[in-house]
Amino acid sequence: MSDTVLTASGLAKTYLSGDRRISVLRDVSLAVAAGESVSIRGESGSGKSTLLNLLAGLDAPDGGTIAWAGSAPVAGRRARFLGMVFQAFYLIPELDALQNVLMAARMVRAPGAGERARARELLTRVGLAERVTHLPAQLSGGERQRVAVARALMNSPKLMLADEPTGNLDEHTGDAVVALLLALCRETGTALVLVTHNVAHAAKTNRSLFLHDGVLR
Amino acid sequence: MPWYFYLALKQLFPSGRKFPFFTAISIMGVALGVAVLVIVTSVMGGFGYEIRRMIVQTEGEVQVKAQGLIEDVAGITQTIRSTPGIAGATPYVEGPVGVVASGHPAFQMFRGIDLGTVESVANLGRFIHAGRLEDLDDDSVILSWEVAQQLGAGVGTRIEIYSPLLFEKLKSDEVFLPRQFKVVGLFEIGHQHLDSSLIFGTLRAAQELYGLGRSVHGLNVRVQPGLTEVAAAARLNTVLPRGVVALPWTQKWESFLWVLNLEKTINFFLLLFIVIIAAFSVMSSLLISVVRKTREIGLLGALGANRRDVALCFCTQAFIIGVAGTGLGVGFGFGVLAIRNDLVQGIARLLQRQDTLRQFYQFTELPSHTLPADLILTVVAAIVISTLAGLLPAWRAASLKPVEALRSE
Repeated sequence: MSDTVLTASGLAKTYLSGDRRISVLRDVSLAVAAGESVSIRGESGSGKSTLLNLLAGLDAPDGGTIAWAGSAPVAGRRARFLGMVFQAFYLIPELDALQNVLMAARMVRAPGAGERARARELLTRVGLAERVTHLPAQLSGGERQRVAVARALMNSPKLMLADEPTGNLDEHTGDAVVALLLALCRETGTALVLVTHNVAHAAKTNRSLFLHDGVLR
Repeated sequence: MPWYFYLALKQLFPSGRKFPFFTAISIMGVALGVAVLVIVTSVMGGFGYEIRRMIVQTEGEVQVKAQGLIEDVAGITQTIRSTPGIAGATPYVEGPVGVVASGHPAFQMFRGIDLGTVESVANLGRFIHAGRLEDLDDDSVILSWEVAQQLGAGVGTRIEIYSPLLFEKLKSDEVFLPRQFKVVGLFEIGHQHLDSSLIFGTLRAAQELYGLGRSVHGLNVRVQPGLTEVAAAARLNTVLPRGVVALPWTQKWESFLWVLNLEKTINFFLLLFIVIIAAFSVMSSLLISVVRKTREIGLLGALGANRRDVALCFCTQAFIIGVAGTGLGVGFGFGVLAIRNDLVQGIARLLQRQDTLRQFYQFTELPSHTLPADLILTVVAAIVISTLAGLLPAWRAASLKPVEALRSE
């Protein structure tokens, strides 16, 4: 399928806890088309973040395969293919908002005027035009997450993985961030996999899945 | 600029912060070590340089000697002067004598110089502070300030000089009377060893004191600029008659120079430990940084950074600290060297030990001469050691798995 950006088949992941082997994911399969938004819900500890890390190529599955637009995930492609948003924002505290967004571009090449203009445009789009020179410590939680969203979109990725992006935000701010994320992904044709506890947020995506006992339904 | 270099700079000098405290402490550690290294190697180099300058200005770069006396002075002088690269040659006679002035006895070295040729080799005139070299004749001498003080003599004073021949004559029941000389000048070379023991007289007076006839002990040779003393000595040895050899000044003073060099080398390696200790401080600070920034390191992986670049980010920080610390240390070191004499005199005045300083360090001023090779060695060693200090933090950072790093508390 040419417009499938993410394919996962038969994923399995187990962890060792002392002598016990705990199976976190069992035969998980998933396909996400270009521009599609998919939400994954599940209880705490159900393996949502583990699944997201496997899909991002940050961790290796014990079984099954993953393909990014038909090719195996490799670290060298991650910066261009993938954007990630985390619950804890993970902005670099020494860099201001603009520099944090440009950091994604730096992973690909030294940013020029074009990249700087795009970073400013993205920050404007997420409502932070007046905050570009502010350090993370000078921004609110919602603003930090919006910087993280802009950073994730900087390299025009094909796929966005968001791991509970509203977990550290109040309800109102969380709603705004998810709405922004969905809108931007729609505008740019970026596929979105959104891991969330929030039923309302999940309902806004094209497809809603539930992870229970290591199995995705 | 690669991202790891950019991030290394930003982590050391964050945006919006005027004074990066931890970076400054690390840089200061390296700077202090480098400054001490620059100061000590320069001062030790200064001792060597000053000794070379004084020796060369009073004795020339090469000495020609024989196993016994040199008898054919004119012939050998002509041979030396006609050798390419030689600027001048002058014969000398040198040996110990007993001196008495106003009832004060002393033993000194008497150096007989040929007034007609001495200036072609040695710039003695510039060291004479009272009287003139031109006033020197077969019945007069020039003393150093220190010898004059020791003897209670000055320009115009008459002194008696006892030759070692006195003892030879006594064996055959002969009496060899001391010779009277008039002091016509006082000199100060600036080297305590020379200033406290040397008397200049004419070559003929020295020959008489030692009963040498027209023979001399040796010849001092001045080399033309561009030719080293070793090359000049080697060239002369191919033309000098059998039994007569040319020695570069470095060979005559080899042991002294070796000790100076050894002192400098030992000091360098001992003081290098300051840089090594500073490097441990850099390593410790970067290791703390790796622990503190574990989640950021995980983020870099999520953004697409590979392990090598993550390692380079921390190595680069150590390198930047090394370069900045070394640059600052070199500047600080030269700053201190510029005011070294004021500092030393100040300390000596405070301790009331000016005379002790002069007596033991042999120079009226603390010398300094920075050899480019010493400076390059210091700079390279400091930067390499600092950069190596970043290897362990770099390895720790690179070995973090992004997933685990992102999950860390």
